Amino acid sequence: MKQLLLDITPSPSPALDNFVPGHNRELLQTLDEIIAGKERFVYLWGATGCGRSHLLQAVVAVAARNKLNAVYIKCSSADDMNATFGTHVAADCVAVDDVKFLNASGQISLFNLYNHIRDEGHARLLVSGPVAPAQLGLREDLVTRLGWGLVYQVHELTDDEKVRAMQKHAVSLGFDLPKEVSDYLLRHGQRDMPTLIETINALDRRSLVDQRQITVPLLCELLEGR
Amino acid sequence: MTMRTAETFWSSCFGYFTKELSSQQFNTWIKPLQLDLSNSTPDQIVITAPNRFVQQWVKENFLATIENLAESHFSKVVKFKLNLENLKNTENEEVPKENETSEILPPIIKKQKSESVLKEKGPSQQNTSRLNPTFNFDSFVTGKANQLARAAAIQVAEFPGTAYNPLFIYGAVGLGKTHLIQAIGNLVLSQNKKAKVRYIHAEQYVSDVVSAYRHKAFDEFKRYYHSLDLLLVDDIQFIGGKNRTQEEFFYAFNALVEAHKQIIITCDSYPKEITGMEERLVSRFGWGLTVAVEPPELEMRVAILLKKALLEKITLDENIAFFIAKHIRSNVRELEGALKRVLAYSRFTGLALSLELARESLKDLLAIQNRQISIENIQNTVADYYKIKVAEMYSKSRTRTVVRPRQMAMAIAKELTTLSLPNIGEAFGGRDHTTVLHGYRKIAELRVSDSNTNKDFNTLIHILRG
Repeated sequence: MKQLLLDITPSPSPALDNFVPGHNRELLQTLDEIIAGKERFVYLWGATGCGRSHLLQAVVAVAARNKLNAVYIKCSSADDMNATFGTHVAADCVAVDDVKFLNASGQISLFNLYNHIRDEGHARLLVSGPVAPAQLGLREDLVTRLGWGLVYQVHELTDDEKVRAMQKHAVSLGFDLPKEVSDYLLRHGQRDMPTLIETINALDRRSLVDQRQITVPLLCELLEGR
Repeated sequence: MTMRTAETFWSSCFGYFTKELSSQQFNTWIKPLQLDLSNSTPDQIVITAPNRFVQQWVKENFLATIENLAESHFSKVVKFKLNLENLKNTENEEVPKENETSEILPPIIKKQKSESVLKEKGPSQQNTSRLNPTFNFDSFVTGKANQLARAAAIQVAEFPGTAYNPLFIYGAVGLGKTHLIQAIGNLVLSQNKKAKVRYIHAEQYVSDVVSAYRHKAFDEFKRYYHSLDLLLVDDIQFIGGKNRTQEEFFYAFNALVEAHKQIIITCDSYPKEITGMEERLVSRFGWGLTVAVEPPELEMRVAILLKKALLEKITLDENIAFFIAKHIRSNVRELEGALKRVLAYSRFTGLALSLELARESLKDLLAIQNRQISIENIQNTVADYYKIKVAEMYSKSRTRTVVRPRQMAMAIAKELTTLSLPNIGEAFGGRDHTTVLHGYRKIAELRVSDSNTNKDFNTLIHILRG
């Protein structure tokens, strides 16, 4: 008989302390300075799954806890991005994720928001994209502004760091992840962090439902969809 | 001297200056000069300048050369008189009455801004100048690339509304146009606290027009803008294609110029090249003085970094500034971003600023730059720009449509890479290095005589450097 799973475990929300720094320690210090208001403009870039969205959401969460009016905006090519940017002119901390997707009018809106924040003098603006500002292929007046502040590449974790990140995540879920399981996952699964974390979550659920230990055979079954 | 000989002389004079001056200098100082045959005599040629600034500059810098050229042309001494052109163009165009306009807004303008932004920045807050006090002439670094613009800006700040109107400053993004015009505003305010100064980004002006339209507040809008002593409009290209905004701006422009109030405009291109701009506005932009700001040369980039560091109260070694300036070439914002990154890295590691530290902290940034300027990248970008096949870069074809882009790519390869000329020739289908040199010289020549080639060259460099 299968164990029914009462799925009440909250998945850990993005935070700065559950981000495995790897080669991004300097960036993390800069994000602390952003929160403290010592720096105001930062642009993060890196391949999908490098942790950009995690970091932006984490900063917004800390800022909100600090009673700042903080907002996280995921970009799309929709025209309503205008209104989205427009409604946040009074925010203290604005995080704009995946700026690459903005259409022409969305870019102008972000351009206006940038100018507004710069003139206004205290709010912070965090922006992210898959590549460095100059490679975005967006309006030049916008990308040069994005490159005006601090620009950081979010470096992907090394394999060892990914193992540590998975283990850390497993501990947050309440179990120890055997080294051979994480190694197997790295050799056979997709290796970006979001997929790895999602697999660990699935593995956790599967283990609870099947009432089995977390082992390589269990992982194989999960990966093969058995 | 007959009229014809004077004309022949004048065109040979133009020919001389096109070779001697950069296209920017030529367009600013020589091109606007006109031969006034009706007032010329056999011993004296009369030339008209469009405004006092050009008149003065030409007198001080070029008149002696013109006289020498004339002496050898006519084999006798000929005097020159430099007059001011009358503002005859004001009479040619009829200014429509303000209340005749009832054009409906194009939908694109309606969508520009949400209500909240309009409320935030609407005419109710217009009593402030919106100037950033840190943008002043002291913190503005001058070099060859912007000395004309700076000289003109100071003149305007000292004699607003009288020197020349409007002052039109154009150049690519991130070269300090906003800084310069705000410096004018700040200087004017410091000289006259009561002066009504307003800095506005053209995009915001569009929003204000929309807002005025929605709230049926055009009277108030006009009253406000027409009452200013100094109007600074940044990035005027943003009103391109927006008819209603252009119309409003046209009225504001006329009202201010007639009242001898100063208008200063910045733009990303030369007035005639702005897309979607009404002819009557384009011609008005040329009434005063049009000056360019060019990308800063190495020495100026170093100076900018040193000045910036000084403002941050940091002692920056010249070698470090030189290292950053050598590698970050495209615009001032990126340069400042790079400096910030070096300082952040120094704070993070707790290490003192050094060349090694600068190199380490800019590793990511430099890797991107280096990756960008491979010769293949240049060939691909240039081919794409001129809509020809990349294969034409190394083909034997010698048709004009292919040769020019190929020469452009060679010139850019010489400019942006450290490859030897034989290596560049090799990459272009095994051509000789003399072919590369010829291509490079040809483009250099065309950049002076043909503004399109110059624009293509600058745009391509900009794309490649990112």
